[in-house]
Amino acid sequence: MIQFERFTLANGLKVIVHRDTSTPMACVNILYNVGARDEDPEKTGFAHLFEHLMFGGSINIPDFDNALQQAGGENNAFTNNDITNYYLSLPATNLEVAFWLESDRMLSLAFSDKSLEVQRSVVIEEYKQSYLNQPYGDVWIELPKLAYKTHPYMWPTIGKEIDHIKHAVMPDVKGFFHKFYCPNNAILAVSGNVTVEQVKALCEKWFAPIPAGNPPLRKLPAEQKQTQSRKLVLERDVPVDAIYKAYHMGARMDQSFYAMELLADVLTDGNASRMYVELVKNKKMFSEISAFTMESFDPGLFIISGKLSEGVTLEAADEAIQEELKKVVLAQVKKEELEKAKNKTESQLIFSEISILNKAMNLAIFELLGGAEEANKETEKFNKVSEVDLLVEASRVINENNCSTLYYRSKNKANGN
Amino acid sequence: METEVKLDRTTMPVFGKEANIDIVHAQEGKLPNGIPLYSVNAGTQDVIKVEMIFNAGATQQNKPLIADTANSMLEEGTTKHNSEEIASMLDYYGAFLEVAAYHDYAAVTVYSLGKHVAKVLPILEELVKEPSFPQQELDVYLTNKKQRFLVEDKKVRAVAARNFPALLFGDAHPYGHVTKIEEYDTVKQADLQSFHKTNYSPNGCAIIVSGKFKEPLMNMIGDHFGGSTWKAQQTEASKKVDITPSAEKKHFMAKEKALQCAIRMGKPLFLKSHPDAIPFQILNIILGGYFGSRLMSNIREDKGYTYGIGSGVVFMKDAGYFQISSEVGSDVCDKALIEIYKELDRLCTEPIPQAELQLVKNYARGNFLRSMDGPFSLAERFKHIWLHGLDYSYYEKYVSTLAEITSAQLMDVAKKYLQKDSIYELVVGAKK
Repeated sequence: MIQFERFTLANGLKVIVHRDTSTPMACVNILYNVGARDEDPEKTGFAHLFEHLMFGGSINIPDFDNALQQAGGENNAFTNNDITNYYLSLPATNLEVAFWLESDRMLSLAFSDKSLEVQRSVVIEEYKQSYLNQPYGDVWIELPKLAYKTHPYMWPTIGKEIDHIKHAVMPDVKGFFHKFYCPNNAILAVSGNVTVEQVKALCEKWFAPIPAGNPPLRKLPAEQKQTQSRKLVLERDVPVDAIYKAYHMGARMDQSFYAMELLADVLTDGNASRMYVELVKNKKMFSEISAFTMESFDPGLFIISGKLSEGVTLEAADEAIQEELKKVVLAQVKKEELEKAKNKTESQLIFSEISILNKAMNLAIFELLGGAEEANKETEKFNKVSEVDLLVEASRVINENNCSTLYYRSKNKANGN
Repeated sequence: METEVKLDRTTMPVFGKEANIDIVHAQEGKLPNGIPLYSVNAGTQDVIKVEMIFNAGATQQNKPLIADTANSMLEEGTTKHNSEEIASMLDYYGAFLEVAAYHDYAAVTVYSLGKHVAKVLPILEELVKEPSFPQQELDVYLTNKKQRFLVEDKKVRAVAARNFPALLFGDAHPYGHVTKIEEYDTVKQADLQSFHKTNYSPNGCAIIVSGKFKEPLMNMIGDHFGGSTWKAQQTEASKKVDITPSAEKKHFMAKEKALQCAIRMGKPLFLKSHPDAIPFQILNIILGGYFGSRLMSNIREDKGYTYGIGSGVVFMKDAGYFQISSEVGSDVCDKALIEIYKELDRLCTEPIPQAELQLVKNYARGNFLRSMDGPFSLAERFKHIWLHGLDYSYYEKYVSTLAEITSAQLMDVAKKYLQKDSIYELVVGAKK
């Protein structure tokens, strides 16, 4: 249970405060309601590139990191398809430094040409490091493309292709900033050894003077219902064949999400999970297998991925997965199976609340998703899922006509056969 | 409004001079059979971590992979339960098990909610005392490990990480040994059984408990691990192998068509107890130990050659080393190397400007505070002095050195340890 208070500034900035006096630290998390899904299809990767530029100096402060480190702080940020999130932690005695820094880059960036030029290269190296120079790295470019035909989840956060990043120019950067980086498109969460009065005063001083903007209303094309199974075969220089199956499912706050998360645990989480016992241990068809949801805010994907054991064909592996999935559609999972998944989930949530940073981040994310109080309803929502709910949801999602399958074939093996 | 003072956004707000850093010490106790029991009772959440440390690292094994495999296999079956049953029991209580074998020790850790810990401790006891290393589980484990090895072998970063320590310590030494895929075939059930018998025993064991708990927990730990029926074992002194660094300093390993090169550079250093250990760690922060470090500023933020570059210091029981690591675009690899050497050279020849030193001192102090935040972090900090035979005066020394050290002293340390020609270099990537 995370206690919090909430208020909104006149310019629309939403603020959430969580007080935890057991720590000498404070965390400041700012979430901007913009992600890769808001990008122009011809200029993808922009939200993420922009996140890098947020560290390239703001209108009054030439070096964000330098100033924060001076105050004993540390920070980072991430971008995904849904949001861009910035977070920092520092000794609570230096809290005002965080307000000074974050408010200045919300006010305006310095828009330095040098920063744009360098960060383009940095992001291109990141692209190579994570997606291209990595075995199986391009799965996360190819699989979304196969699964989504209209919704912008079809491209990865880092961008469809390196060329989109290469061609980013300053007018794009400025346009993006003015469109999305305004107080009424952001949520500020502060946690740690702070008081609500202190945060209020600091907000009035540093954030209130920033004028509101006109963030666009999000109107994304909904993904059409998939009616036919899709398949893609890739051949790559990897040592082992792999398979990926992506099924369309509900959005983060739908009931469907909670059922599918628990189903993923029942199937592959830990040494006692169904697919692990059956496919890795007993049949020895896979060396590893995992099921997970993408946790996306709009309707997302339920994914099964596995690496095949020596001598197993992709077709046989695919069939074995489907056979296991059929079982959860034909009969309810056992009471104990669901109970274990719930207990583990509850425990994970409690452990995650040790960290004041996690707490601030969660509060901000749930505030966007429908209200910070939702962060405290997660356990209850998971616990409410019954064996029947799981069966109903699994039958809706687990269906080959709702699935995109990627066979990732080892080139060496293909030649050898 | 009468008078409105214009907000000055150009000057950093004055920030508080922090009070003294208050380090919560671990409490020391002893179980009836002599096992030291350390505890950190702190925090607000009803969570408990119990970490058991054993003299069961790679330096204690007589052949490759035994320490690591024995440690990983503890959860794969006991005399009473099979792998699936063990996992089911832990899942049921929402507990998490973590096993890890390092060079000098191995650890078995459970994380549990306070309300379930009484049910979780017997499982931990069973894993530690009565693992059976079932043959069929071992076969699956080794087959899958080999596959994972092949996948890792495609990553330049992984290949560099695996091969670099051998340049500093030699392939024959456990600190430097490069795992080869054939070695997985030499691991036998009997090796694991005998390694477990001698190395997972009360002598050489220590327990560190952290979280928010009540006193009876200490008695429970005693009930499970403090009895006299758990017999101490004679341990043979593991054979000493000499450290033999590579004669050549520069090494290259080819990875066809790699888009990036992995770079590892560094050298052997001293033990954590050495008087230069703290000054060198401060020097390391300046070089590559934080986002604003010289390597990051130059090679990422100025040149854009990489997504990330950093350096770090590793302390083991009988040696220490320093290393720089990065992945850079294949086309700019040579240029990146030149810049890295330039940065090492600059530390040896130019005093660190006052402003930069002050920044690093402030940052490191904040970071130190962060690293002591919460019961698990406090337990971790304790472990990292205890493992090296140090006490809390080490951290006091760290804080005072941080406050007092000068540019001149840091340049002396750089001159002593960061001469270019003393640095080992490994590049893994495409041939030019």
